[in-house]
Amino acid sequence: MSCCETQNLSVGYGAPLLRDIALHAERGKILALIGPNGAGKSTLLKTLAGQLAAQGGAVLLDGQDLTAYTPNARARKLALMLPHTARTELTSCFEVAAAGRYPYTGRLGILSDTDRQQVHDALCLVRAEELEDRDFARISDGQRQRVLLARAVCQQPEILLLDEPTSFLDVKGKAELMDILQVLAHEKNVAVIVTLHELELAQRLADAVVCVAPSGVSAVLAPQDAFAQDNICALFGLTTDQYAVLFAGSGAKPKPQFEHYIRSGQRLLRCGYTTGTCAALGAAGAARLLLTGHAPESVGLRTPKGIVVEVAPQFCRLTADGAACAIVKDGGDDIDATTGLPVIAAVTLLPGAPRTVTIDGGAGVGRVTKPGLDQPVGAAAINRVPRQMITEALLREADAVGYGGGFAVVISIEGGEAAAKRTFNPHLGVEGGLSVLGTSGIVEPMSQQALLDTLQIEIHQAALKSHRLILAPGNYGLDYLAANYPALHEIPVVKISNFIGEALDMAAAEHFAEVLLVGHVGKLVKLAGGIMNTHSRCADCRTELFCAYAALCGADAATCRALMDAATTDACLDILDAAQLREPVMASLLTAIQTHLDRRAAGAFKVGAVLFSNRNGPLGQTKIADTLLKLWGGA
Amino acid sequence: MHTSKRMTIAYLAMAAALLALFALNLFWGSVALSPADIAAALLGRGTNALAANILLQLRLPRAVMVVLLGAALSVAGYLLQTFFANPIAGPFVMGISSGAKLAVALTMVVFLNRGLLTGSLTLILAAFAGAMAAMLFVLAVARRVQQMSILVICGVMIGYICSAVTDIVVAFAQDSNIVNLHNWSMGSFSGMTWGNVATAAAIVLPCLAAAFLLSKPMAAYQLGESYAASVGVPVRAFSVVLVLLSSLLAACVTAFAGPISFVGIAVPHLVKHTLGSAKPLRVLPGCALGGAAFCLLCDLIARSLFAPTELSISSVTAVFGAPVVIWLLVRRHSGEGTV
Repeated sequence: MSCCETQNLSVGYGAPLLRDIALHAERGKILALIGPNGAGKSTLLKTLAGQLAAQGGAVLLDGQDLTAYTPNARARKLALMLPHTARTELTSCFEVAAAGRYPYTGRLGILSDTDRQQVHDALCLVRAEELEDRDFARISDGQRQRVLLARAVCQQPEILLLDEPTSFLDVKGKAELMDILQVLAHEKNVAVIVTLHELELAQRLADAVVCVAPSGVSAVLAPQDAFAQDNICALFGLTTDQYAVLFAGSGAKPKPQFEHYIRSGQRLLRCGYTTGTCAALGAAGAARLLLTGHAPESVGLRTPKGIVVEVAPQFCRLTADGAACAIVKDGGDDIDATTGLPVIAAVTLLPGAPRTVTIDGGAGVGRVTKPGLDQPVGAAAINRVPRQMITEALLREADAVGYGGGFAVVISIEGGEAAAKRTFNPHLGVEGGLSVLGTSGIVEPMSQQALLDTLQIEIHQAALKSHRLILAPGNYGLDYLAANYPALHEIPVVKISNFIGEALDMAAAEHFAEVLLVGHVGKLVKLAGGIMNTHSRCADCRTELFCAYAALCGADAATCRALMDAATTDACLDILDAAQLREPVMASLLTAIQTHLDRRAAGAFKVGAVLFSNRNGPLGQTKIADTLLKLWGGA
Repeated sequence: MHTSKRMTIAYLAMAAALLALFALNLFWGSVALSPADIAAALLGRGTNALAANILLQLRLPRAVMVVLLGAALSVAGYLLQTFFANPIAGPFVMGISSGAKLAVALTMVVFLNRGLLTGSLTLILAAFAGAMAAMLFVLAVARRVQQMSILVICGVMIGYICSAVTDIVVAFAQDSNIVNLHNWSMGSFSGMTWGNVATAAAIVLPCLAAAFLLSKPMAAYQLGESYAASVGVPVRAFSVVLVLLSSLLAACVTAFAGPISFVGIAVPHLVKHTLGSAKPLRVLPGCALGGAAFCLLCDLIARSLFAPTELSISSVTAVFGAPVVIWLLVRRHSGEGTV
């Protein structure tokens, strides 16, 4: 039954601002009016309250035109709460609330005992009974709003209109007010109509929504329709990007859900959790819903690294044959392709298969197409550790409720297929989606371990193809190779960044026979000093090495000093050219590099290095590199 | 209850002060009268004809008039403060008294120049017309500016303009009338007759009663116009009545005693703080009592401080009232509460 409705209502000051408004409010429901500033929410509310004459059409209260009511009869049916009041003095909160008894008191407004009781009850309802004797001008904004609400309640209204009741409130004040409004609507059976500019609150509060835009007023919408992205974007004129910023995920997250930090150099980086952790959490959430009947507020597990991750599922709901629970991947400060994607675990119970867990990949999870990976060809790209985590999580849920059967889990990643194209997956041999992986369960941003893990996989795959390997620190090396040694395209190339020593160790472990390093002089010259991680944060020594070897080759003090002060290796080469020492110095550097490479390889394979510079072109190759290039037919 | 006890004490104190001051006003003056003379005169058994004459024809009507007009002034001030939601609103600062003064001065000069006698009713009508004109101007300004201080400044300016015009009018008055007019335009309770008292009572007492009957919507109005409307106060009709009542009260005072400053602000404020409440139902009778007592005190001082020379009543009320206004302004701007 609708107790307040409008018919073709037009509202505005002097001229119609909004036309053709047809809304209705019901007792026991909260109707929220949302819309951009200046669209006319307050104007509409004032017209509904009878404070502003309608420009056309009518407002009906219980079927009767609002203007037909006497002010007193109207005040007994309809109460209004506004964000501002006049400044009061020497007025207690009790007196302010008691002003709401106006329609019920006599000529002089003297309160009867019944009136006093009503005021007291209203103040109790809004949890302001302890404010009764306080001066209304000397309480906080939140308390003031509550007292004003009590005042409206004192009118014993069937309809309560509120204009931006949360404007001046802090978070706690908002929460309390929301609570009270819900009690009023749902327990006291009042029709609540409220304008709100805070969509989040409106979303939480409203049973029905009317959108007020300058272009017009919507019909009464269900909250899910009103707060749909399209509608909100259209109403407020938001672009998709703006919407995404405001409403990232479902509802804005003021803080990341998972907080664990590592120190990297000077910075503190926030860790995330892996897709594997997401899958296991999702499986646990879905299983809990199936086994207990309640969707968990949050699910948690201890990762293999020992860190506990506890997050709220994006959703957790029953499906046709089981339950599905989604956990949003959070990469921490390591934003990768999977960050923000929901990892969904669909769990079905297998009562006939005691304590077994079968795991498969669904949409968005890749399939293994090449050998050499963690899983056999054809299997879902869900690695061993995540599989184990999922199994453990499910069995723990089963133990918690004494369930003896098994589970079947299908892990899918929403948007995984598209995201996978931005990863190395196709290159690695995982097709059709992302991998569910992670050995520690935790993503450490920019961690060396993550890079080395990838490197390990790539070197392992190369070993399946050949016993020859080319290692290049960076893209310069790759370009140089392609340009100068086209004949070597058959030989697998792995980009190794600065991890030269580690890459050599891995190559040894994979039983390569011949390894060639091709790199820029700025990186590889460091090998002459035995520096096997060429990251500048680790060590530099480039000019020192040039200087030392130039001195050994007879350079004078001025040349040595110039070399020491040079900014780049190319500058060093220029200085050497000027002193006519480039050839002997490069020869002795290459010898030193060869020595250090041999030492690291320790006889496991033959290894050589080719040095170049972008400006000076080829700079030379070590003795073994010579041999290898001749052998491989690239020279 | 704590508040009702405080209320009782405050009312009793004000009533006692009123009675004491009333008595003082009767036997204090340029001709010393003993309490015995007064008692005898009041009982009509006096042998001292002069004393009886002074008392019954001069002091008693004057004291009664002071009570009536003092009550009228402070209630008018309280009504205006409620209407404008501003503690420093009052008939004098808003220029209403001055408007009435100008109208009265014009009427007096015109009538006197034609050799006509001006009855008190004519003066009251003229004063009411002047007060309404000034009030309408203030209302027009209030519609445009939200800021109360600007409104008050406008009121003060209107007051100056009216005073200036009054002075010009007085300059054109016949010599014999000037002294009278000049005295009047400075504000004075002197020269009241029983006829004046009866006319004033006929206007002031019904107005006070009407104001008291409005105390319920006034209380609702204290939270603001929208809130008043939301609980069923017929705001438009209420405002009109409030404006009419306050103008009528201020006009009546001006017609008989000239413009009297600051009583309308200081008294309601002091009464509210004495009572510890702003509820019109409690404050309105308090204002009437307090206003009467305050004016009796001021009149007593005006008459007796430099006797036989009589001070204008405004110079005394201003000394007491202006500091209250300054204090209110300072407090208002020191950020005690907002909006």
